[in-house]
Amino acid sequence: MAPRRPYWRGYLKLSLVTCPVAMTPATSESEKVRFHTLHKETGNRVVSQYIDSITGKPVKDEHEAKGYERGENDYVLLTDEDLEAVELETVRTIDIEKFVPRGSIEWVYLETPYYLTANDKIGDEAFAVIRQAMEAESVVGISRVVLGRRERAVVLEPRGQGIVVWTLRFGDEVRPENEYFSGIDKKSDAKGVSAIEAVIKKRMKDWSPEMVSDPIQESLLKLIADKKKAKKQSKAKTSKSKEDDDGEEESNVVNIMDALKKSVAKELQSRKAG
Amino acid sequence: MAGHRAQWKGHLKIGDLSCAVGLYTAASTSDRISFNMINESTGNRLKREFIDSETEEVVERDQQVKGFETDNGDYIMIDPDEVAAVIPDSDKMLEAEAFVPCGKIDDVYFDKPYYLVPVDDADHEAFTSIRDALSKTSATAIARTVLFRRMRTVLIRAHGKGIIATTLNYDYEVRTSKEAFKDVAKVKVEAEMLDLAKHIIGTKKGDFDPAKFEDRYEDALAALVKAKAEGKTLPKPKPIKVSKPNDLLKALQESAGMEKSSAKKPKAANANSGKKATASKSTKSRAKPAKKKAS
Repeated sequence: MAPRRPYWRGYLKLSLVTCPVAMTPATSESEKVRFHTLHKETGNRVVSQYIDSITGKPVKDEHEAKGYERGENDYVLLTDEDLEAVELETVRTIDIEKFVPRGSIEWVYLETPYYLTANDKIGDEAFAVIRQAMEAESVVGISRVVLGRRERAVVLEPRGQGIVVWTLRFGDEVRPENEYFSGIDKKSDAKGVSAIEAVIKKRMKDWSPEMVSDPIQESLLKLIADKKKAKKQSKAKTSKSKEDDDGEEESNVVNIMDALKKSVAKELQSRKAG
Repeated sequence: MAGHRAQWKGHLKIGDLSCAVGLYTAASTSDRISFNMINESTGNRLKREFIDSETEEVVERDQQVKGFETDNGDYIMIDPDEVAAVIPDSDKMLEAEAFVPCGKIDDVYFDKPYYLVPVDDADHEAFTSIRDALSKTSATAIARTVLFRRMRTVLIRAHGKGIIATTLNYDYEVRTSKEAFKDVAKVKVEAEMLDLAKHIIGTKKGDFDPAKFEDRYEDALAALVKAKAEGKTLPKPKPIKVSKPNDLLKALQESAGMEKSSAKKPKAANANSGKKATASKSTKSRAKPAKKKAS
């Protein structure tokens, strides 16, 4: 995957040590098959535009502004520059407040992972000192940072030559597990447990990204590729005879669908068997 | 469990043992502060509408179909039935295909967590056996099934009296840390600096409960809006001083000395000690209408 533009630029701080850093998301939807919305009648793309809610007229980009609702129909307009003046040091600085043992943050709180690196040669050494000290102590750092107009709790975990930053879910976003788990027995049947332990030990494997392949995406890509091909062929034929056109394309598609279904079914079978 | 609805119902299977289970959403996402979009010249609110990119006429929902772009810029419509046909029928079976030690999982693949719960009393024995075998071996199970119309890989892990199932992102959605960090300069850190940094970390060790964290953004924004409405000049952000390589050792030494003397004192920067008012306010702000989604 191609490197991405930093999502956030700012500073990493430990006590009196400060270095410039950049943060990039670890995940992206850019390679997911996405469909556009089309107008059924014309086949053109459908796009969204802003209109004035009272006059009904389209509004040009330069007249669009963010408004903070002070009262009914009373808005204080804010520019992006204004928003940067919010008086929270966490808008620009990740100041590590605390360290906790590695692995002590519940997985259920982990929301979005980012990669943090030094953003300038001047910060390379300070960044390395902070990262290596965390690694040596087997701890992760706890801090906060403003992302997407919210202040988020974050965990900083040293990994390889960089730091993984996780935003954490807010307390009211994680449902209380007791409401779900309280009715489950604490005890278990020793025989049953050891039987399953044997199965687990037999099939223990290393993590591999192959475990998260997406057979449906592959099928969708194939569907799209085949449709494109069908369209090209039908276009080539148009010059000769327009009559055959539709029939050709349809029969082609039907065959593709059969093939796709088979390939997905096969993929499922092979997984079960392996 | 009353009042909660399962997102998915099926069977969890390991080896010959299976039990009926339900998946329940463990975490929801709340919305950030949403602004209203305003027409600067009239002061009126903006509305979004969908138009044909060529004819510019308004396109109603029932006139919108899915399609994709060809290499020459044309668009081909696609029938939802054709897409649906690509998705295999679900056998409603979460069957463990492999097991990976807990510590060996690359967590950047994590997507959403679900509580996995046995459906009937009769299933408890199989469920607790699976749970305790996973926890005794410190293993997670990798299973695949059709979930929410996609073939999803799910990571299954024992958690307290229950089990948590986490959906995983696909390989093409994740950039590995190895790749992201491959160009990072390898810096040889002097032992003295490393010791000082370790010392500083030692003075900041503690507990952290994510549930108690409070977002201070709403309050800070309200203060900004007030200042702007009153016509005050907004404060310029203060310049931030970066530690220069030559000053790094000194900064570490001073930090280590400073932290030693103030380690016991509560820090003003700790926002968990914020006022009660902040709590109710930020909860309210998050209950605001959802941000508008672009389609």
